[in-house]
Amino acid sequence: MTNSMSKAVEVLKSFNPFVEEIDDREIKISLSNDKVISALDVLKSIGFSHLSLITCVDWIDDNQFELVYILFNWEDGGKILVSTRIDRSNPKFITVKELWPVARFYEREIHEFFGIEFEGNDDMRPLFLELWDEKPPMRKDFDPSKYSKEKFPDRKYEKDVIKEAKIFRGEING
Amino acid sequence: MKERTMWEQIADSLRSRSLWMLHYCTGCGAMELPPTMTARFDMERFGVAPMATPRQADIMLITGYLNTKTLRRVIYTYEQMADPKYVIGFGSCTINGGIYFDSYSTINRLDYYIPVDVYIAGCMPRPEAILEAFNYLMEKIRKGEADGWKRYKENYEWYKQNQIRSLGEVYVHDEFHE
Amino acid sequence: MGEVKLFFGPNHPGMHGNFSVHMYVEGDVVKRARPLPGFLHRGFEKLMERRYWLSNLALIPRICVPEPDINEACYAMGIEKIAKLDVPERAQWIRMIVLELARMANHLSAIGGVGGPIGLYTASHWGTADRDRILDIFEALTGARVYHMYIIPGGVRKNMTPQIEEMIWKVMDYIESRLDDYENLIFKNRILHSRLKGRLILTREQALEMGVTGVGIRATGVEYDIRKVDPYLFYDKVEFEVPTATDADAFSRVYLKFKELSQSIRIIRQALEKMPQSDKVNVPISKGSALRHVVPKGMAYAHIESARGEFGFFVVSDGKNKPYRVAVRGASYPQGLYGIEKYLPGTRIEDVALWLATMDVCAPEIDR
Repeated sequence: MTNSMSKAVEVLKSFNPFVEEIDDREIKISLSNDKVISALDVLKSIGFSHLSLITCVDWIDDNQFELVYILFNWEDGGKILVSTRIDRSNPKFITVKELWPVARFYEREIHEFFGIEFEGNDDMRPLFLELWDEKPPMRKDFDPSKYSKEKFPDRKYEKDVIKEAKIFRGEING
Repeated sequence: MKERTMWEQIADSLRSRSLWMLHYCTGCGAMELPPTMTARFDMERFGVAPMATPRQADIMLITGYLNTKTLRRVIYTYEQMADPKYVIGFGSCTINGGIYFDSYSTINRLDYYIPVDVYIAGCMPRPEAILEAFNYLMEKIRKGEADGWKRYKENYEWYKQNQIRSLGEVYVHDEFHE
Repeated sequence: MGEVKLFFGPNHPGMHGNFSVHMYVEGDVVKRARPLPGFLHRGFEKLMERRYWLSNLALIPRICVPEPDINEACYAMGIEKIAKLDVPERAQWIRMIVLELARMANHLSAIGGVGGPIGLYTASHWGTADRDRILDIFEALTGARVYHMYIIPGGVRKNMTPQIEEMIWKVMDYIESRLDDYENLIFKNRILHSRLKGRLILTREQALEMGVTGVGIRATGVEYDIRKVDPYLFYDKVEFEVPTATDADAFSRVYLKFKELSQSIRIIRQALEKMPQSDKVNVPISKGSALRHVVPKGMAYAHIESARGEFGFFVVSDGKNKPYRVAVRGASYPQGLYGIEKYLPGTRIEDVALWLATMDVCAPEIDR
């Protein structure tokens, strides 16, 4: 761990975090979701001022979304992954656009692809998709293959290559 | 196919020697266009030059995958181009979806939405393949076989129906100036 | 005079890639601007969850077109972090050479890309022609000009032969001999000076607030380079400088790219000298058939300094043979979305294309 990272762990003690070491310059800090914003504020003030990415993981088996804020320290190269879990059935969280203005766009993207609402971020218009008519596409229960088959016609080939390969391998009889 | 008159034959032969391509990078295949345009491969020796506006362009290059958002603009652009107009589909993405066959936002075959005259296989097509495609298209135009624009007029309802099936709505909304 | 609506792109010769900016202008001055990405959205992050760890290799180079190798490198480094793999030393050096060659190719095409909007076509022709020499190396090394799929998790796909090493030496000598011509003909050109000097200034505070990385921040005098701050591969074992400028304008950003070319040549030469001879250039991720490889549970974020700034992959594995989630941090995300909305108002119409060219806004990596 770099100096700044051990300092960060020290400072965040009162938030009772769960710290995992991924690499000698990368740690993951899991927090309960009411403490994340103040923890991010603290981390920003002690040098982790660069927000690399806000992203989301859909843990469908636990019925939870995991929000991950990746912070980077330009002074000694420490990376901190601040992670929190929120309820999947009514996904809501608080925006960090006051800390990092660019977060507005990351949150907009997460809203579009996972359907999470960010309180305080009022600009939630779709960014990448146009006239989207299904559930948010990055959720695990969305099947892109089925959607593609329904909407976009395939080219039909006269030769079924996969079938021929199966016959060649002796898996089915031709 | 109808027999062409002598004037049409002459016009086709002249047309094939001066093709202006629309400068629109719809996908990643456009990365091989700068080498094709500049000194090393130099497509201008075949009479092919880039053109900024669709109204003065002859060829439209669909350089790779098309997602639904781009397809709306492509249809707009294609309908703005003046006859005769030709379409070249770059790479396997326009042929059968290529590597994005199961993507929720890219189409799988281009000739369902607009007529295509020449396809180039590969991902991504090399500059040599692009030049070969231009040559092949010129040959087709000279023979009067590149009739995609006529097919679009004749089967307009069929194309529109496919477009609406995949896109829902072809109209491009003005999102900023609501 | 009232405000006029103006659409810039996606179909516009000054536009780099498939991207759109909607603006309101008053006279020549932009009053409000809004980026409109998504024309290249292919749903990469979803598709990657549906393919095996190694079959994703065919997909990921297509995220960023001008510099595809950074995707493979980030993805591979992310997996290696989770699986705690020891990559053979020679493979690490080869990766470094490939990444620096890719940076050079991107910088050359970026110098060419700046030439287009300002009407200095010499820059476009020269940049593209010299980039082709590097693409020839890639073709010899990997078999493809643009998408290489060369860096794989656990090493590189094939060993670098002595003939290719010799070819790289030659091309490096050639490009180095061209640098003086570039300096004299392009960077001392009055067209370039009058169009770029003092335009599109992005101060240090603005850049830091926005999270801009790469030449955007280095043009403000800060030596922020991930190769130095958070060294990956063997960047701590080679000597190189991080060029900086203090003007923070469009000219210094383009000029820094040009300066980085000679540093890349320096790194490649050192790497070729220090590279040990060995036949082993890759290790498998796990035992068994290549398509059934599994990666242990965990998550990691791997980032590298691409030609445009910090480029990163966030990889999550749940211990199965497919990734659970992969998220991509595009290097041009801040300047391409937030930057256009915040800092384009107040500039002139002709500078919009320059913002996209000098800040290296790469549409495919924003959209994914």
